[in-house]
Formats: sequence, structure tokens, C-alpha cells
Amino acid sequence: MIELTNVSKAYRTATIETLALQNLTLTVPAGEFLSIMGPSGCGKSTLLNIMGLIDEPTEGTVSLAGKTITGHNGRQIAKFRNEQLGFIFQSFHLINDLTVVDNVELPLLYRKVGTRERRRLSLEALARVGLSNRAEHFPNQLSGGQKQRVAIARAIVGKPNIILADEPTGNLDSHMGDEIMGILTKLNEELGTTIVMVTHDERMAKKTHRLIRLSDGERVS
Amino acid sequence: MFKNYLLLSLKVLKRKPLYTFISLFGISFTLMILMLLTSLFDATLGANKPLTHRDRMVMVPMAERIRMEPDTTRKIDSIVMDDEQMRYDTTLNIAEEQVSNSNGPMGYKFVNKYLLPLEGAQHVALFSKGNNVDGYLDGRKFSFNSYYVNDQYWDVFDFDFLHGGCLNVEDDKQANKVAVITDKSAMTYFGKVSKDVIGQEMLLGEETFRVRGIVSRPLSDSPFFSGDIYLPITTIDPRRLEDDAIGGGFGAVCLVSSPGKREALKNEINFLAENFDMSADDFNNKLKIFNASFVEGYAQGILQEEDPGKAMRMMFIPIIGLLLLFVALPLINLVNLNISRVYERKEEIGVRKAFGANAGDILTQFVFENMVLTLIGGLVGMLLAISLINYINANDLLGLTRLSYSVRVFLYFFLVIVVFGFLSGILPAYRMSRTKVADSLR
Repeated sequence: MIELTNVSKAYRTATIETLALQNLTLTVPAGEFLSIMGPSGCGKSTLLNIMGLIDEPTEGTVSLAGKTITGHNGRQIAKFRNEQLGFIFQSFHLINDLTVVDNVELPLLYRKVGTRERRRLSLEALARVGLSNRAEHFPNQLSGGQKQRVAIARAIVGKPNIILADEPTGNLDSHMGDEIMGILTKLNEELGTTIVMVTHDERMAKKTHRLIRLSDGERVS
Repeated sequence: MFKNYLLLSLKVLKRKPLYTFISLFGISFTLMILMLLTSLFDATLGANKPLTHRDRMVMVPMAERIRMEPDTTRKIDSIVMDDEQMRYDTTLNIAEEQVSNSNGPMGYKFVNKYLLPLEGAQHVALFSKGNNVDGYLDGRKFSFNSYYVNDQYWDVFDFDFLHGGCLNVEDDKQANKVAVITDKSAMTYFGKVSKDVIGQEMLLGEETFRVRGIVSRPLSDSPFFSGDIYLPITTIDPRRLEDDAIGGGFGAVCLVSSPGKREALKNEINFLAENFDMSADDFNNKLKIFNASFVEGYAQGILQEEDPGKAMRMMFIPIIGLLLLFVALPLINLVNLNISRVYERKEEIGVRKAFGANAGDILTQFVFENMVLTLIGGLVGMLLAISLINYINANDLLGLTRLSYSVRVFLYFFLVIVVFGFLSGILPAYRMSRTKVADSLR
């Protein structure tokens, strides 16, 4: 499902080159719930961004759903992201000027789904995360846990094959964190969605199928 | 999708009232001025009545009589010393130079004999302008600007007749005492603009004229049609009809069958002037007959420049330059405001791109949002401009020129809004649409 081969990522300035990832090879089979751990600055988020096609590796190849992503233009990559991937961020990244349901609709907007269908699918996704009653609220009216549930609804509304979650429980207390983790686990089990989650929390990582650790841009376990 | 963009753009505008106010103020004020200028431009040079056939007209307002004299010049090309003698190598240039000229409107006989029969002209309007005449009624005196015009004047200039009709060829032949007056003159003299005025008498100077028609006053003040009262050309002082001189008090406007035929007519007029027998003139020996399109003639008139091409350049280059500068300053300001506004929404752009928006989607969204802002500003600017136009017209602040807000002006204005909105939105939107998702969400 996800295949990274000899992936390296370097950030270059005029004077310094920083290696965020070094020669990393990783395969995530379809339906797996994988967690990635490591100290801050070890390249976890960079790895997730490369898997999510929102950043490009300096070297190496990325294959998603059997397709090697090289030589694609921005429009094709955007379409691929829209259809295959869903993102969950630590700081939610909801659009505060849009209602909850409008936020959830976002991926469908770029898939040219009709208004009614968009609304139906979004409400369905909100129901799945238990937030049907908050559809017309604005993000600022919600708690952290509720915001993250909206973000999950947004990530799953387009029924992507892969969900990439960057510290989804990082900004939440342990109770809320467990709730979010429960939703993700259920998604993985019921829908077979492949989930790759970056986390700092050993407890959360233990709930996933497999854990890999990074240090200084290299895979250490 | 556009509904989503629209709702979002309105929310964004409401979110930052001060920013919105500053942006809207700049847009509204700029667009208001632009609309006033558009309106002034349209009133002055637009194809409004009686200038609907503007593009088929060749204005022939006057002729110039010139005295040319031989003028020989000797140019020293080189000097050499030859056996202690200075020797010059020179070039002799024998040419003619203009030593005197006299220009002005033309004589009645001249225009009748030479301009009326022009082959390329479908109609030739003859007129004598700027004749002040006093009107009298019930012990009151009114001052009018009268134009003496021939029957074809009404074919060339399509005045908007409110009541009655125009003067005709019989009126010219019989020197009938009939008049076409403007609505303003009707109001001044009769106190009303209605059908009842037709057929009523007006005492003008020592003669009585019967009103044949009432026209609405043209939007602009032009030397070709700024009369209060129009009378048959033959009712003018008979001495002015008998004068044989080239110069006199008459101008002409020719109408050709299609705009493309104007050049041919201008060539015909130039040919006539160049081959004109000037033997009857004991001083001048060359004739020039001014001929230009309406817009060229306008430029020549206000800039006192003979060459129509040069006059057009002298008029339009500074106007376009100033206009560009006038639009560029608020545009740059708005671009600047937009850059910071769009930059603030970097995170949103990152999220949208992460969930499938491509650069084109982002570009469309932000240009659309800016168009919404500009349209609101344009609407406010338009309302302000209409109020100002009404005020200017009601108080005749621009003399005889009255500003209009016709459908055409609105269309011009709408175009200006769209261009303004697009230009001020495209650069910031383009910059942000190229942002990398990972950078936006960091």
C-alpha cells in the first residue's frame, strides 16, 4: 500500500544542509495501523509529509496504492491526495470561518460532488465520530477533542484508503486521547483503512499493529 | 463550489471590519472617480444623440488661407583653404515657406459650391454657430444662442426629438420662419416642455418664428450643436449669404455611408484644397480645408493643434498615462493589502491543498473573493458616482456638459470593476497558490 525506498530528505540553506531523513525504506501493507515514534526533530513529520505527498523526498521513491509517484504534476498529485489520502493534524487545522459540516465537506468540494450528496456524506462522517449535533457549529465553539473528531470526520469523508495522522492526540488530555484512538482503531478495523500515526505517546503506539522508531532521520527499530 | 467561496468571502470580510472598510473605501473612491471620468468621456466623445453617427462623420469646421513665398537657403557644407583663399562648398535649397495665414469658418457660397457637392458625402450639414439672439415674451427678455442650419443638418445629427419635427428643404428654400428649440429653451421661454409648444410663436430679435420641434439638450457642449435654437440657414442676415469670400461664418459636417469611407472623403477634401484656384485672392496663394473625425476634431479644438494624428496623441497619451497612474496607485495598495490578507490564510491554503485543492483551485478562490470585495466596492462607488452625477447635472457644474449614466457607461464601469478586481487579486492569489503544503501547515 505504502512503499518508501531509500528515501532521504535534506533541507538546504545557503550554508547548511540538514538531513531530516536518511536512506529510509519502509513498507506499510494495506489495512495496517502503523505508529511512528522518536524524539522531536527526528524526521517523523517529514516522513509523514512525504507519505502524504505534501513534501518531496530529495532522493528515493514513494509508491502509494501501487503507483510510483514520480514525474506527476501538481494537479495529478492533488487529485491523488484527494482520492487516496486523509490527514489528521495535531493542531486540527480546521477553517474557523466555516461551520463544522462545511469543514468536513472540504475534500468532497474538490471532487466535484453535488451539494446534497456532499452534505449527506459529511453528516454521515460526523455521525461516525459522534458529532451529528454539532454540524452547524463553528470550530471555535468546540472543545479540543471535538475539534479533533471533526478533523477525523474530514479525513474519512472521502473514504480514503490511507489516513495519515500527525500526533492526533498530542493536544488532548488522556481521556480525549483515548476517545480519538478508539475512533481510529474502529476505522481501521471496520473499514480496513490503512493508518500511519506519528505519536509521542508510548501508550497510544501500543494500541497499533506495528511501531517503528526514528532517530536523527534514520529508522532504528 | 462558488457558493462556498462566496459565503467564505463574506465571512472573511465581516471578520475584519477595519481592513474591509479601508479596502472598500479605496475601491469605492477609485471606482467612483473612474465612473465619473467614464461618464464624462462618454458624454463628451461617446456616440450619444445627436452623435449616433459619430464614426461616419467628417468635421469640416474651417479653412485656412496661406501665403507661401519662395525661400532660398544656402548651407555651407565645408570650408577649405586654397592658396590662402577660403573656399566654400555649399548646397542651395530652393523651397517655399509660409509667411502668413488666416483661418476661420467658411463663407456660405464657398461651402455651398464646394462642400455640398462632395462625391464621398452622403449628407453635408451646414451651420453658422454662436449667433446670439434675444427672445421677448410678455415684457421679459431672454438670451439664446442660435444656430442657422441647413436641412441636411438633421440627417447628420440625430437629435432626440421630444415633440414635433425637424426643419426641411422647403424651409431652406422659402426661408420659413420656423425653429427647433431645446427642451431647456422651451422651459425658459414657454415655461413648459410639451406638445402645446409646437406651433407657438417666439419673438426672436425683430422677427417671429414658429416652433417646429423640441429636442432634448445634448449631453455635451460641442461647437457643432450647442445651440438653444436652430433656425433655417436662409433666415440668417442675407448679406452673409451673398459674400463670395472663402472665409465667413459657416462650418460643415459631412456624413459618409460607412466609417471606412471617411478617409476617402478626407482625401477628396484635401485634393479640393490643394487644387483650389486662389487667383481671386490677391494675397494668399494656398488653401487648406480642415477635416477630421469627431474625436480628432475634438482633440484639435482643445489643443489648437492642426495635425489630427498629433492632436490625438497629445490628448490621449497624457490621459491614458494619468488614468493608469490613478488606477495603479490604489491597485498597488490593494495588492499590498491582499498579500497580507491572503498570507494570513496560509494555513487554510495548506489544509485545502492537503485535501485535494490544486493551485488553480486556490487561485480561483482568492481571485473570486477579491472580485466579491471589488463588486461590493464598485456598487458603493457607483451609488456615490450616481449621486455626484445628479448633483453636477442639477447644478450645471460642467457648463453645458451633462454627465450620463447610460447602459453603456454601466457596461464600461462593470468592465473596469472586473479588471480592477482581477488585477488586484491575481498576484497575491498566484503567490499563495504556489505555496508548498508542508510550509503552510508548519
